[in-house]
Amino acid sequence: MSGLRAFLRAVAALALAGGTGAARAAEPLPAGFSVVGDIRLAGADGERSWTDGGFGKTRFGGDAAGDFRLRPRLAEGELVWQPRFGWAVTGTIVAAAQTGQEHPIDLIEAFVSVKPMPRGGTRISGRAGLFWPPVSLEHEGAAWTVTDMITPSAINSWIGEEVKVAGVEASIARALAGGQLTATGAVFGFNDTAGTLLAFRGWALHDLKATAFGHQQLPPLNAFMSGGVQAPVTRPALEIDDRPGFYGKLAWRAAAPVSLEALYYDNRGRPEAVNPSLQWGWRTRFLNVGARAEIASGTRLLAQAMTGSTRMGFDEGAGIWVHTRFRAAYVRLSHTTGRAAFNARLDLFGTRERGSALGREESEEGWAATAAASLRLSPHAQVLLEALRVDSRREARLRAGLAPRQVQNQLQAALRLAL
Amino acid sequence: MIIFSLLACASPALAADVTVEVRTQSGAPAREAVVSLYPAGRPVPVAPPGKTYEIAQQNIQFSPFVLVVPVGANVAFPNYDKVRHHVYSFSPAKRFELKLYAREQNRTVHFDRPGPVPLGCNIHDNMSAFILVADTGLSAKTGADGRVSFADVPAGPVVVRVWHPYLRAPDNAVEVRWAVASAHPILQVKVALRPPPPAAPAY
Repeated sequence: MSGLRAFLRAVAALALAGGTGAARAAEPLPAGFSVVGDIRLAGADGERSWTDGGFGKTRFGGDAAGDFRLRPRLAEGELVWQPRFGWAVTGTIVAAAQTGQEHPIDLIEAFVSVKPMPRGGTRISGRAGLFWPPVSLEHEGAAWTVTDMITPSAINSWIGEEVKVAGVEASIARALAGGQLTATGAVFGFNDTAGTLLAFRGWALHDLKATAFGHQQLPPLNAFMSGGVQAPVTRPALEIDDRPGFYGKLAWRAAAPVSLEALYYDNRGRPEAVNPSLQWGWRTRFLNVGARAEIASGTRLLAQAMTGSTRMGFDEGAGIWVHTRFRAAYVRLSHTTGRAAFNARLDLFGTRERGSALGREESEEGWAATAAASLRLSPHAQVLLEALRVDSRREARLRAGLAPRQVQNQLQAALRLAL
Repeated sequence: MIIFSLLACASPALAADVTVEVRTQSGAPAREAVVSLYPAGRPVPVAPPGKTYEIAQQNIQFSPFVLVVPVGANVAFPNYDKVRHHVYSFSPAKRFELKLYAREQNRTVHFDRPGPVPLGCNIHDNMSAFILVADTGLSAKTGADGRVSFADVPAGPVVVRVWHPYLRAPDNAVEVRWAVASAHPILQVKVALRPPPPAAPAY
C-alpha cells in the first residue's frame, strides 16, 4: 500500500499547484498524459454502505450506531494516457486508485478509437477494447467523470459499477433533416456478470467504478446463495460462457436544442454457466432512453429511463433461480453561470424479483434526491458540494437485522483536480 | 420578421457613413452577424486583400467564431494549442483539410469563391467556426453591441444582407431593401436566431 500512499501524497501536493495554476507553467507530465484526482470530505448517516458489505445505497455509511460520521478521504486518483497514432487513431488507457476498490491500482478502460475524416455528409468511427457502453448522459471525458456533480444517478451508477464491456463498437453519423442521426452498434464479451448487483443488492447511487481485475462487494446473501452457489463478491469484467453480447443505439440531435437517444443491450449470457470461483453467467437485457434539452441560456434538462431484466441459474421446475426485473429513471436540472454550476436531480428506482431461489424479499422500491453546487477555480481545479438523500424499502434488510425501509443522507465536499 | 427605421436628416448627400444594428427577436444585440451592403442591388468591387487574415486554434476552440474575408483572401490557421488539430470544411465555397501539429503556425488557405465556409476539427467535435467569403467590398461583422458601421456608402437604394450561422432562414440570411438618404443613418434589423447546438460531452 506504500505505493498508493506516495501516489496520494503526490496528488495532494499537486492540489496546491493545481489551485494556483502553477502546475501548468511547470508542465510536469509528458504530452498525452493527464492525472485526475479527487480529495473529499464525506459524511453519511444510516446503514452500512454496500461498499462495506451492507445494504446501504450510498458510497459511505454512518457509524456503528447509524449516526452521521464525517471523514476526509482521498477518493480517487486516475492516470489517463491518450497516445495518438497518426491523425485518425487514438488510444485511451485509464488506471485508477479508488477508495474501496479491491486492488490499490487497477485498469479502468483501455481502447483504441478510429475516427477518419468524414466523407460527404457521413461520418464513420469506431473503437475496440475495454470501455463503457454509451448509456450515461452524466459523464464526460477520458476519466469518465460526472459533470459538475460527484454522484451519478442510479442508472449511471449501475453502468459504472458492472456494465463495462470488452469488444468492438462502430458508429455512423449522418446529417438528416436539419439534425444529425447517429447509429451505433457493438459486439462484446466480458460482461456476463452484469445484473449481479441489481439482483442481490438492488440499485445504489455512488461513483465507485468497476475495474478490470477487481471485485465489487455483495450484501449478505440468503441461505441458498451463500451455501456454495454464489461467491460473496462479484467480478464485473468476466467472460464465462464464451457467447458474445451486443448493443445497438440510435441518437438524434436536432437543430432545436433537444437530443434523444435509445440503447438496447443484451449480453446473451447463459444463466446456467458458472466458473470455479462461483461467478455466474447472467442473461441481462435492458432498454435505456435518454433526453437532453437546453431550456434557456445556461439551463439544461437531462433525463434517462431504463427498464430491463436479468436471469441466473437453473430452472428446476419452479422457475429459474433468479429472475429480476428492474427499472429506474431520473430527471436532472442544471444551471451554469460563468464558473458556477447548480444541479438538482430526482431518481426513482425499483426491482421485482420473481426467481425461485430469491424470494419476493429481494424486490425493492425507492427514490433519491440530489443537490449539488460547483465552482471552477481554474482550468485545473473544481470545488463541488453535494447533498444526497436515499429512501428505499427492501425486505431482505431483515437478514442484516435492519428495518426494510431505510433512509440515508450523505454530504460530500470535493476538490477535483486535473493536470 | 424584419423591422426597420430611418433617422432622416435635413439635407441629402451623395455618400454617407451608415450603421446597421442587428438585434434578436427578444431585443438583445446580435453579435458576429455579417452585414453586407449592395448599393443599387450590386456588389461593390472587392479591394485586393491587403493582409493575411487568421483563425487561431486556442484552448481547443477556434478564434474568432466568425471571420469575414474578401474573395481572394488568404487565411492563416495558426495552432497555439499543445495538441494537434485537424481542421476541415466541406462547403461549396471551399473544401479543404489541414493537418496541424501542435504549435504549427505557418499554414494558410486561399479562398477564391464567395459564400459561407463552416469549419470543424475532426479531433475535437465541439470546435466550430465560420468564414464568410464576401463578394462585396462593404461587408463586416457586428460587434458585441450588435452594430457595424460602413464609411462612404453611396446614397440611394441599397440591399442589406444579414447572415449569421444560427439565423433561422433559408441560407441563414435575410435581405432588407433600404434607402441611404441622410448623414448618419442607422438601420435596425431584427433576426430570429436559434440557440447554439449544445456541446455534446463525449467519453
